[in-house]
Amino acid sequence: MFAKKTNELMPEAAKPVKEALVKQFGNPFALTQFEGLPTKFGDVEGTVKTVEASGADQPLIRFQATGLADSYDKLQGLPLEWTSGKGQGHISRIKEYNFETGTIAVEKSAEIDPQPGDTFKVECVRLQFGRDLYNRHCMHCHGMSGEGTGPTSRYLNPPPRDFRLGIYKYTSTKSTSKAQEADLERTVKEGIAGTYMPSFKLLTEDEVSAIVNYVIWLSIRGETEKKLDDELFLDYSQEVYDERTSEEGGETREEVLEELKEFMELDFPDTLEFATDSVSEAWEEANEEDALVIPKMPRVPDTPESRERGRKLYLSQKTKCASCHGPQGRGNGTATQDFWTNPATNEKYKNRGLHDIWGNQLPPRDLHRGIYRGGRRPIDTYRRLAAGIKGTPMPAFGGSLSDEELWDLVNYVMSLPYDGNR
Amino acid sequence: MGKGWCLFFLFWPIAAVVSCAMAPWIGWSFPYDNAQAASNLGIRIDGLFYLILIVTAIVFVGTQAAIVYALWRGANNREERADCVHGNHKLELVWSIIPGVILLFLAIYQMNIWADFRIKKFYPEVAVKAPIAEVTARQFEWRFRYPAIGKKLQQKPQPDDLHSVNELHVPFGKPVMIQLRSDDVQHSFFLPALRIKQDALPGLQIPVWFEANKPGTYDLVCAELCGWGHYKMKAHVIVQPEEEYQEYLKTLTEQQFYDGLGKIAATENGSESEATEK
Ligand SMILES: [Cu+2]
Repeated sequence: MFAKKTNELMPEAAKPVKEALVKQFGNPFALTQFEGLPTKFGDVEGTVKTVEASGADQPLIRFQATGLADSYDKLQGLPLEWTSGKGQGHISRIKEYNFETGTIAVEKSAEIDPQPGDTFKVECVRLQFGRDLYNRHCMHCHGMSGEGTGPTSRYLNPPPRDFRLGIYKYTSTKSTSKAQEADLERTVKEGIAGTYMPSFKLLTEDEVSAIVNYVIWLSIRGETEKKLDDELFLDYSQEVYDERTSEEGGETREEVLEELKEFMELDFPDTLEFATDSVSEAWEEANEEDALVIPKMPRVPDTPESRERGRKLYLSQKTKCASCHGPQGRGNGTATQDFWTNPATNEKYKNRGLHDIWGNQLPPRDLHRGIYRGGRRPIDTYRRLAAGIKGTPMPAFGGSLSDEELWDLVNYVMSLPYDGNR
Repeated sequence: MGKGWCLFFLFWPIAAVVSCAMAPWIGWSFPYDNAQAASNLGIRIDGLFYLILIVTAIVFVGTQAAIVYALWRGANNREERADCVHGNHKLELVWSIIPGVILLFLAIYQMNIWADFRIKKFYPEVAVKAPIAEVTARQFEWRFRYPAIGKKLQQKPQPDDLHSVNELHVPFGKPVMIQLRSDDVQHSFFLPALRIKQDALPGLQIPVWFEANKPGTYDLVCAELCGWGHYKMKAHVIVQPEEEYQEYLKTLTEQQFYDGLGKIAATENGSESEATEK
C-alpha cells in the first residue's frame, strides 16, 4: 500500500507519514473524504427509518435507511457522517450494507445513538464506484494502489503505468501540465495501440469517468506520498539514520529523534498541506482551457513539398529528430547506443539507450510502423511534437518551431508508414 | 426398487423435452429475438440445429421409453425371465443402417449451407468485391480498418484508411465481408446473434461474410481461450441502415483528420473543451 521509499524511512519517520496518508486518503479498502482534492467523492444523504434492537453484547448497530436507493449498491467501508441527532458530527464506518433491505450496520460507540428520523450522509460513494470498477478492470495490471505491479504486470512489455508519479504520456495539454480528465478517458476508451492497454469502449461514459476519477485520486495520493518522502528522505531514511548514528556520524539516537520530533511538530503539517495543495492544484489546472495545446493555424496541406520541408527539419540540427529516431525514422538513432544518466539518481543506467522516468528502457519509436500510441489524428502527432511526451526524453518543440514547421513535420512523420520503402 | 428406476429413466426424457420446449421463453435458447438468428444464413443454421435436435430427441425418447418399458415389465413380473440373446444379424443391420442413413442425409442436406458459409466461390459477389473492413484481433481487443469513403480496402494500410476499436459498424440488409487477421495469438471472431464464428490465425487473412437481417447492436466476442484477458475481448457490431452507416464513416473521417481546430462531431472527443468552436 505504501511506496518503497516510505518503508525505507526510519520507523519513527515513516509512522507519521503513513498516518497522515491514511487520515487524508484512507486506503483502497476504506476510502476517506478529504476536502480540497479535485476528486468527485460523491455524497449521498440518507435518513434513519427504523433501528433494529440489538443486544448489549453485539458490536454493531443495525438500522434501516431511506434515500440511498439510487446511489450505489456497495457502500461497505465508507464513512457515514451523522448530520443530526445525538451523534451529529461523528463519523461511523459502514460495516455492512444490504441494498435490498436498505439495512446499514455501523460499529457501536458511546457517541452515536441513531433514532428514526436522524439524518446522515455517506461519503465517497462515487469514489467507491470508481474503485470497484478499477479493481475489476484495471487492478490486475496497474495494481491495488496504482503502483503498476499487479499480478499480470510482469508478463507485459511495456510495463503497465505506475500512476503514483501523476505523469501520463499521452495528453492534450502543455508539457508542464498534468493530463486532462478527457485525455485519460480517451485512453481508457480507445486503449493504447501497440501496448497491452486494451480499449474499454464497452463501458458506459459514466463508468469510464468514475474510473478516471479514481485513477486521478490514486495519482494524487501517490504524489503526495512521494513529496513527503522526498522531504524526509535526506535526513531520516534508515540509511541516513545508520550513518548519522555510526561512529563517524557521532550523533546519538536521542539527538536524531529529538530533531525529528521537532520537525514533525513544527514543519510537517505545513509540508503535508503544501504537498496536497500543490498536487491538487496541478490536477485542477490541467482541466482548464489554457492548459490545452491548440495549434495557432490549421494543418498545412499534406503535399509533397510540405513533407519535404518536414524531412529537412527532421534531419536538421534544430530538431535532432534523427539522433533518436534514426535518419530513416527506424528508431535506431545514435542516441540508442549511448549510456545515459538517470536524472533521479545521477547514476548511469545499466543498459544503453533512452529511458523513461519510470526507469524502463525506452526505444525511440520506429516511425514506419503506423502504430500511434497517443492516437493517430494529426492533432495527436502535433501535440506529441509541440508538447513532447511526458515522462520520456521526447522533448517539446512548441517553443522552438513555428506552427508551420510543426505541421510540416507532422505531414512528414505521418507519411513514413506509407512511403513504399517497406 | 425396480419401479424407482422406472421413474428415474422416465424423468430424463420428460425433463429434456420440457426444458428444450421452454428454453426460448426463459432465455436459455439461442440468443436474440426469441431464439431467432439475426442473419438469413443464421436462420438456416438454426434450422439445421433444430433438425438434429429433433432427430436426437426422437432417438433419445424412444430408447428411454424402451428402457422404462423393460424395467416396468421386469419389476411387475417376477416369473418372466430375461433372455440372453447373443448376436442378432437383423438387429445389428437395423441399428447400423438407420443411423447411417440419417447421418448421410444430414451430410448431404447441410452441404449447401456449409458451402454458402465457408466456400469462397459461393460468397455473394457484392460482398467479395468490396470488403468493408479489416478486422484485427489482438490481446484483448478488436481493431477495425475501413477504407476511405468511396475507396476499396487495400491489402496494406493506406494513409486515408479509417480506424476504430471495439465498435464495428456495418450496413444493414446486404451481405458484407470482412478480412479477419490476428496480431498475436489465435482468436475467434464470434457473432452469436448472427451465428458467425471464424478463427483468426496469425499470419493469415481470412474472409468472413455475413448479412444481418435486422438492425441493432450485437456482441462480438472472442471464442478462443486466447489469454488472461480473453473474457474481456468484447466489441459491438452495430448494424444500421446504409445512410446511417455512411454518416458514421463521415464522422469517423472528420475525427480522424481532426487538426485541433474548428468543429468536430462531439461523439468521440466530446468532453474535450476544444470540441466547441473557438
Ligand atoms: Cu481472443
